Amino acid sequence: MTTDVREQRAALAPRRGTRGATRRKGPHARPGESRGAWLLMAPYVALLLVAGVIPIGYALVTSLRRVPTPVDPSSGFGGLDSFRTVVTDFRFLDTFVNIFAVLVVWLPIMLLGIVGLALLIHASPGRFGASMRFVYFIPGALAGIANFVLWVYLLNPSQSPIEGFWHALGITTIKQAVVGAGQLPLILAAMLFFQGVGSWIVVVNGGLNGISEDVLEAASLDGANAWQLAWHVKLPIIRPWIGYAALMNLAYGFQLFLEPQLLDQVASNAIPDQWTPTQLGYAFAFSNYNFPAAAAMSLILVVITLGIGLVIVFKSGLFSEESRG
Amino acid sequence: MSAPTVVGAQTSRTGSPARRRPGADWSPGRLARVVTMLFVAAIFVFPIVGFIAMAFRSHEGVRAGEDGFLGLGGMSWENVTYSWSQVNGFGPGGGLFTQWMLNSLVVAGGGALIAVVAALPAGYAMARLRFRARRAMLLVTLVTMVMPNTVLVIPLFLEVSAIGAVGELWPVVVIMGFFPFGVYLSYIHFMTTMPHELVEAARVDGLGEVSIFLRIATPISKQAAVLVTFFAFVANWTNFFLPLALLSSNQANKTVSIGLQELIGASPLFNPTVAAGLDVKLYMPQLALATFISMLPLLVVFLGAQKYLIRGETVGAVKG
Repeated sequence: MTTDVREQRAALAPRRGTRGATRRKGPHARPGESRGAWLLMAPYVALLLVAGVIPIGYALVTSLRRVPTPVDPSSGFGGLDSFRTVVTDFRFLDTFVNIFAVLVVWLPIMLLGIVGLALLIHASPGRFGASMRFVYFIPGALAGIANFVLWVYLLNPSQSPIEGFWHALGITTIKQAVVGAGQLPLILAAMLFFQGVGSWIVVVNGGLNGISEDVLEAASLDGANAWQLAWHVKLPIIRPWIGYAALMNLAYGFQLFLEPQLLDQVASNAIPDQWTPTQLGYAFAFSNYNFPAAAAMSLILVVITLGIGLVIVFKSGLFSEESRG
Repeated sequence: MSAPTVVGAQTSRTGSPARRRPGADWSPGRLARVVTMLFVAAIFVFPIVGFIAMAFRSHEGVRAGEDGFLGLGGMSWENVTYSWSQVNGFGPGGGLFTQWMLNSLVVAGGGALIAVVAALPAGYAMARLRFRARRAMLLVTLVTMVMPNTVLVIPLFLEVSAIGAVGELWPVVVIMGFFPFGVYLSYIHFMTTMPHELVEAARVDGLGEVSIFLRIATPISKQAAVLVTFFAFVANWTNFFLPLALLSSNQANKTVSIGLQELIGASPLFNPTVAAGLDVKLYMPQLALATFISMLPLLVVFLGAQKYLIRGETVGAVKG
């Protein structure tokens, strides 16, 4: 396949000179090209509408409705009432404080882990580095619920492989392990780190592998030792990846749901039922059947993560890269 | 930063043939690096080994605590067959776990199929065709790609509920078919493998835009197709919140991810009252076995896609 393309490329080589000119003709393409493009885009656009645009629009409409009550079963226009319900809910602020508590612990550890381990791997050429990279990646394969069950195994002192650790802390049940003061953010941070660090190491390691051998060789001939090489040469080069990882993980923090929801389940409901914003939205929908409030809560989260998403897209160069094609 | 030094050194490079000393002595720095890396590897590997061993142990053995290091001494195939009878005996008449696995295969596989069928032409169009709103569509794709997908679950639930399809599998399949990351992968793929000149030449030959995609772009898109299918399948298989919102109401249509949650909730370890009313006993070995089995399809698709993942140029391009 690749050779085909290369042959064709070679055959077309003489025309290269005109390429830039033709490409910069501007967005007003021939009508045939535009029609073809939309035809090819049609399935994707349909899915975007069904799974993205329409639900958001419908959530907006829903959020402006009034909640039907037994006294007044109509659900007419309610203005911003549902947003008021959400924002003034006694749990609303707490859920964001909780997310913040997790992020404060988790993000620095995560970034330190990603960058530190990626640099260590990069400093270990050959089989050892490659196999370590693979080993660090393994927990990432246990995503979501599987990672959770693994952590139940670790957290439950009665059969945990780190039983001694729990007993040293005076903890004998999984409930105690989870509910102690300030322990939940630590446990969630550990769970998220375990699950997420591996794939990011691979990403950042890919960035490090992109540094040309010449640059590194030159620096070491200049007398830079391994530390200086990592600190003064490699780290500045991979800084964009670090920023990208930080923002992606920040956005990820706002979707926390599974872990606190299920930890509550295994800890005899000892954790507040609505510990994160997503859980609160879920409770509005499935416990209170207050769909307008659930919609409003989702929209608040959509706006926050959309903001972070836009920063990622524009700051990481994802979007600017494309013009180079 | 250190650019001037680097440039200066580059010129002097030719003067010295010395490379980094491979296999030099165990300097303190090197020792520290290797020890640190092995220590971290141990932290990552031991829990997983212990967890897999747990799937092969018995509850009695676990409770007695005499199975040795990480429980490796208590592993047997008998335990597995017993545990499986408990896991798959769950639910009225049993067999619910198998049903959940099949449901997961349907939604994850169906979703991945739709994702790849939609992503390849869309990625191609954005990479190689000029049309109004091309950049806008790309921006929408990128933003939806980096946003966590759970934020849309409740709006999606409201939508599906409005058409009365909550508890059915097909809406989940369709929603999972929306996979902007796949579109971006395809976009990068065609940007890097399909030169403009090729498209132009085909046009000169009189081919229409759709035919160019079908006859020229599709045959060179195997790499992208495999990657999109792989990433979509994994994302769908592990998706928890969407099935939870859309399928919880229908026991027979649950996926294995939310099914596992139900098994945890039925374990005497965490919910003795519920567990007391069940014929099956789901202790840690049974939960570990169910989790282990639920991961096997991911292992299979990983092995199938491995060749393409390792080649990885596309993935590198994405994150870069």
